[in-house]
Amino acid sequence: MSGTPHTRAQIPAGAQCFVGDEARRRRAIEARVLSVFEGWDYEEIIPPLFDYADVFGDGALASKTYSFVGRDGSLLALRPDFTSLLAKIAAGRLLDRPAPMRLYYSGEVLRYEPPQAGRQSELHQMGLEHLGGAGRAADAEVLAIAAECLDALDARGCVLALGHVGVFGGLAAAAGLAGDDVETLRERISRRDPEGVASALRRRGIGGAIADGLVGLTTLGAGPEALDQAVERFACCPPAARAVGEVAEVVAALAAAGLGPRLALDLGEVRGLDYYTGLVFRIYAPDLGFEVGAGGRYDALLARFGRPMPAVGFMLGLDRLERLLERQGRLGAAPPPAAEVVSGPSLGAALSRARERRAQGARVRLGGS
Amino acid sequence: MSLTVALSKGKLLSGAESLFRRAGLPFPAAEGRRLVVSAEGLRFLFVRDMDVPTYVEHGVADCGIAGRDVLLETGADVYEPLDLGFGRCRLVVAQPRGATLGRRSTIRVATRYPRVTAAHFLGRGVPTEVVTLAGSVEIAPGLGLADCIVDVVETGRTLEENGLEAVEDVAASSARLVVNRAGFHARREEVARLIEALRRAVA
Repeated sequence: MSGTPHTRAQIPAGAQCFVGDEARRRRAIEARVLSVFEGWDYEEIIPPLFDYADVFGDGALASKTYSFVGRDGSLLALRPDFTSLLAKIAAGRLLDRPAPMRLYYSGEVLRYEPPQAGRQSELHQMGLEHLGGAGRAADAEVLAIAAECLDALDARGCVLALGHVGVFGGLAAAAGLAGDDVETLRERISRRDPEGVASALRRRGIGGAIADGLVGLTTLGAGPEALDQAVERFACCPPAARAVGEVAEVVAALAAAGLGPRLALDLGEVRGLDYYTGLVFRIYAPDLGFEVGAGGRYDALLARFGRPMPAVGFMLGLDRLERLLERQGRLGAAPPPAAEVVSGPSLGAALSRARERRAQGARVRLGGS
Repeated sequence: MSLTVALSKGKLLSGAESLFRRAGLPFPAAEGRRLVVSAEGLRFLFVRDMDVPTYVEHGVADCGIAGRDVLLETGADVYEPLDLGFGRCRLVVAQPRGATLGRRSTIRVATRYPRVTAAHFLGRGVPTEVVTLAGSVEIAPGLGLADCIVDVVETGRTLEENGLEAVEDVAASSARLVVNRAGFHARREEVARLIEALRRAVA
């Protein structure tokens, strides 16, 4: 044996275990969310728990992936993410299916998180992928589904904050930035630090409208008026302006469907999984410090598996939803009805009585003998 | 529900108080031992300086005031929309006056900032042993616990009194307003109003 010495009851940091009400509430949340996915005609995929490590790419998740060497010497990994797996399945096992495909999943992912961060290593994600569909329509569809999931859970005050990777990407390219300079800027924008962005640009001798635009990513408002301001602000950079135009189109469709009040603009959202190529969004609630879900468009990922097609999806974190709903006093999973204690003169008689009551739908507990 | 602000009772407290007063915002009397105090629509938490980013990251506080040195060290995932302009200091490498560090292959560094220190030296390929201390870092080199230290300096007097001199800047620091990411979006109006009031007071 090797590794850290541990006591008999000790569990590894980050491992989770749910009992009683909490387990019931998680099942209830999952059932409601999956019924929304089914209601929009998405089909469940139960992907493998592990696959070749290269399926999951070499991006930000690579350093958090639990990988191991298989019996045949190949490098395998426990899934840190579902989207890559579903893309691979869509391009392989489902190759004969015509696009668009609407697929969903629900299950655990495993990520190594440094123990001191207080994060869990096992996370339950529920999500869907819309593969091969027309751009804006698919974007609007998955956002509408995300909003319906939150309604189905009776979660209060949730906001879908929309951004687009093309805004920052376009501005950074127009500024002639590359490599570490882009990462420095991305980090400061992701912290919404206007002075930090401005001073990073000054150090590189970048000024003018492009610099104003980059600083603007940290200060733009969130309401519908911010969309107009953004269009003006990024007029100097056609790719960024086009990206804002895409967001505006999706916002208009969602607003027409009555979802306007749930939306916010967040063009400063420049982090996240590196496979995103277009619209991105995160879902925030007032009673939880972290987002409860996230999603976006990833038009280049499927090509990695040999079946290029546009794609968009999102996921909700079951662990965070459960905590949010508990804080909001929602979905107090009703305890099960009290069981009927069944006994008899002999074990056989008791069992036979219990089976009878079970056939009539009762919740029974064998007792007595 | 009112916004919750995390503050530390350390060296940033007086700057925070005068900033809140200039901004026309309530500020609690910092007397007594109560760690949670409400004042006219805001709730204040008094916590350790290194803990301010943690409270804000987890959303227990909607916002807080933390030094950039502390933000660099904790790496907390929070927004930093405003440099508040006070609490200016530098994070520096300091060593005994006249010593030469370059001779040793692995250097031992005593610090309250182990993450920043490791990133600073390892990032330049210098083999480093970090000795993490909770305070009184200045005495470590003289007692043979470390070859040098990484710590914050304002005037440099403490360094001087302990026979040390700053030889390298690691980062500049000042007080920052930090804001929880979810609250920034989900309680946008209240949070934006607070940021705006403080921004005007800083300018």
